[in-house]
Formats: sequence, structure tokens, C-alpha cells
Amino acid sequence: MPHLAALYRTAKFLVRNPVEAEDLVQDVYVEALKSFHRFQPGTNCKAWLFSILFHRFHHLRRRLLKSSLEEPLPEQDGVAAEPPVPQEIKDEEILAALDKVPLAFREVVVMADVEEFSYKEIAATLKLPLGTVMSRLSRGRKLLREKLAEVAKSYGIGISAKDAAEGGSA
Amino acid sequence: MNVLNFDARQCERTRRQMDAYLSNELLVETTDEMLLHLENCAACSSEVESRMRVREALQRAAGRHSVPEELSEAVHQRLKKAQSPRFWTARAPAWALALAGVAVIVIVAIAGQRWMRMDRAKEMVAGVLQLGVSDHLHCAIRGHNYPDVANPPEALRKKLGPQYAQLLPAVEKKLLGFQVLEAHICSVPDSPRKYVHFITRGQGTILSVILTKRDGQNLPAGSFATSSLGNVNFYEKRLEGMSVAGFQVGGYFGFVVSNLGQHETDQLAEGLAPALQTALNAGASRAALSGLVTLPQG
Repeated sequence: MPHLAALYRTAKFLVRNPVEAEDLVQDVYVEALKSFHRFQPGTNCKAWLFSILFHRFHHLRRRLLKSSLEEPLPEQDGVAAEPPVPQEIKDEEILAALDKVPLAFREVVVMADVEEFSYKEIAATLKLPLGTVMSRLSRGRKLLREKLAEVAKSYGIGISAKDAAEGGSA
Repeated sequence: MNVLNFDARQCERTRRQMDAYLSNELLVETTDEMLLHLENCAACSSEVESRMRVREALQRAAGRHSVPEELSEAVHQRLKKAQSPRFWTARAPAWALALAGVAVIVIVAIAGQRWMRMDRAKEMVAGVLQLGVSDHLHCAIRGHNYPDVANPPEALRKKLGPQYAQLLPAVEKKLLGFQVLEAHICSVPDSPRKYVHFITRGQGTILSVILTKRDGQNLPAGSFATSSLGNVNFYEKRLEGMSVAGFQVGGYFGFVVSNLGQHETDQLAEGLAPALQTALNAGASRAALSGLVTLPQG
């Protein structure tokens, strides 16, 4: 299937549950089949499938939660010091950190940094204004770094005194 | 490293633009300005490096996600289930609808495989294959070009035009036991490419013959098993229980798509290819003579 791996990992980042992610991905292909006549060959097939994924995901979530946000957006803290980033980042650390980033930011970070969509494509896929995409990405990446620092600290590995000092000096 | 006294505002601006820089969304001039600053500011440079480190770590970790083996199969099952009710609700006899449903599903599977192949095979040629198959899918799903009762030959010839009308008897003659339900020239939005598309029914299945101009391209030899049949360059592929036999006839690609065995599909394609070649040549001369060339010979 086209883009199966990308859709599945993104679904997993969104719902955090492998079984639900599989269901979601299946829904995406069924929906794609139904609306195939709307796909224009030559346009970005991956972006098209992703917009179906997000549409479907948010639809299900709204139905389940009867609310558009599962968690409150964290307050802006523009002046906070940059969290120290470990020199060596383990897979499980970064994934655990991402898991702690609220959905509204997580989805933008995944679209931009994992799937490498452009700002414009993200805005179209998530139906957000471009400015919101930019601010959420910026905030989301910062949250990810903060969570990563917390995770690394709690694992007791990754950040040496030297790293901490370097991070702090920035 | 030269230590220059930077305005704190310059650092602040660099930090603000860092995310756009990481996403490669900055204007060239802004990027140049930023690189100049990074070269001379250890703090900002270390900050951009640590942000890149996080991004790369995330990409690496995400790339190691494995897809459950059964997921692809589950998707196919869902597609099958999703497809059949649409056909059962129509007015045509159930057996014909079931066949049509099966044909559409396997074609979807092939289109999927085609898309995936695009990552690996030569992009241009793979693009041709994908378009050919997705066009077939488009026709089949929309259903309006997929009659239950075959269109009369006269109507089909008219749809094909002088250049391709000659292909009809060739297809009918060489596909023994198949009835041509539909023949037309179709295209997909935003693409100049035209397809000559025959939809046939027989031997308990729906079989398509698709022709499209090569425009100087070749089938990707590396991704097909090549068999040598006469003087025809012949390619075969078995995908999701469906067989595709691809060949080149003069300036055209030809595809026979069916859920018969590969051997049967190959045999049908083998019989068809030379006949199509002859008919294409005849069609080209006829069209040229009558001054009605709509699609110049590739």
C-alpha cells in the first residue's frame, strides 16, 4: 500500500495506541477509495492521504470527547531558558518526550520534522492558518526539548555536567 | 572563532527564525544573514545544533517504527468489504456486480503497489504505470464507462476514432472467450497523457487492455521479470493475486491486467502484442490519410 509506513507511524503518534492506529489507517484507505475521484494524479498523494488521516482522526476524537481539545494548551513562556539537550538521544527518550507533548503541538511537530511536509502543506492538511502552524511548530519543538530534558533527567542518563553547562550557556 | 559584539537583538532575531531555518522555510537572503550570524555567535550556533540533534533523533526514532505485518492485509480486506455494497445496490445482475467489485479491488491493490514502486523505480516510467492503472481504477469506480451489457461495436469504434478503431477487431480476435464491454480513450485531470482502454469480460473475470504512448520511455527492466516471446519485449508482474503483463509495441506501452494466472495473462498479451502493433500501424496510416489525426503516433 502507498505510504503505509508513514501513515501508520503518524497514526501511532496521534492516538498512542497501536491497535487504534491500525484501525485509523484502515479507515484512511477506505476513505481514500471512496473519494478517489477527488484525487488528482500528479498532485501530492502523501499529502492527500494525510489530510484524510487527520480529518478522520479529529472527527473520531470530537465524537469521543465532544470537545476539540483533549488537554489545555500550555501557557506561553517566551523568556524561559533553553532546556539542555543531551548529546546522545536514545530512541525511547525522544519518543517518550514526544508522547508528553500535547496533541495540538505534537501533530505539527510530526508533520514538519518526521514527515517533512512544508508549512503550506501542514496548514492545508490541518486546516490551520499558516501563522498558527509556525507558532505551534516553534512551541511544539520547544516543548519537545523540555520534555526530553525531563525524560533524560529521570532516566539519569544522557546529560553530563558538560552538556548541562553548554545548554545553560546558550 | 572571531568574537564579535553582536547586538542582542540579532541573537533574538536568529532564535525567532531558527525554526523556519530548520524547516528550510527561510528566504535565501535571510538564511545567508543567519548563517553569517551563526558563524560568529557560539551561543546561537550551539543552540541550532542542539535543535537539529533533537530533530534528527526524532526522525531516526520514527523511522524505526515497524508496520505490523498483518496491517497491509487488513487494509485490503477492508477495501474489499467497503467496495462490494456499492455494487450490490445497483441494478445490474448480482454476478456481474460481484465480478466488477472484484476487478475494482484488485485494481486498487495494483494502484497501491504502483505508488509504492514509485519510490524505487525510475520515476518517469513508474509515473506512466501509475497513471495507466489509476486511470483504469477511475473508470471502473465511477462506473459510467462500465456497462453490464456490451456497447455495440459501432459505438465502440466511434469512441476510439479512426486511429484506434482498428484495435477493436484485434482485441476481439486475440482475446478468445472475452467480450469487449467498453472501449474508449480516456485521460486523467492535469495530465496530457491519453489511454486507449478496453474493458472486457470473460473466463469468469474482468480483463483490461490499456495502451498509452511511450513518449520515448521504457519499461523498468529491473523491476519486472522479463520473458522473451518472439520479437516482443515482454514484462510480467504478479501483484495481490492479479497479473499484469506489460509490453512495448512500437511507440506504445501495452498492459493486460487480469486476475487470471500469470501464464494465461502472459499468453493473452503475447497473442495481443503483434496484432496491436499491426492495428496501430494501420490506424496511424488511416488517420493520416483521412486527416483526422488527434493523437500523433509516438
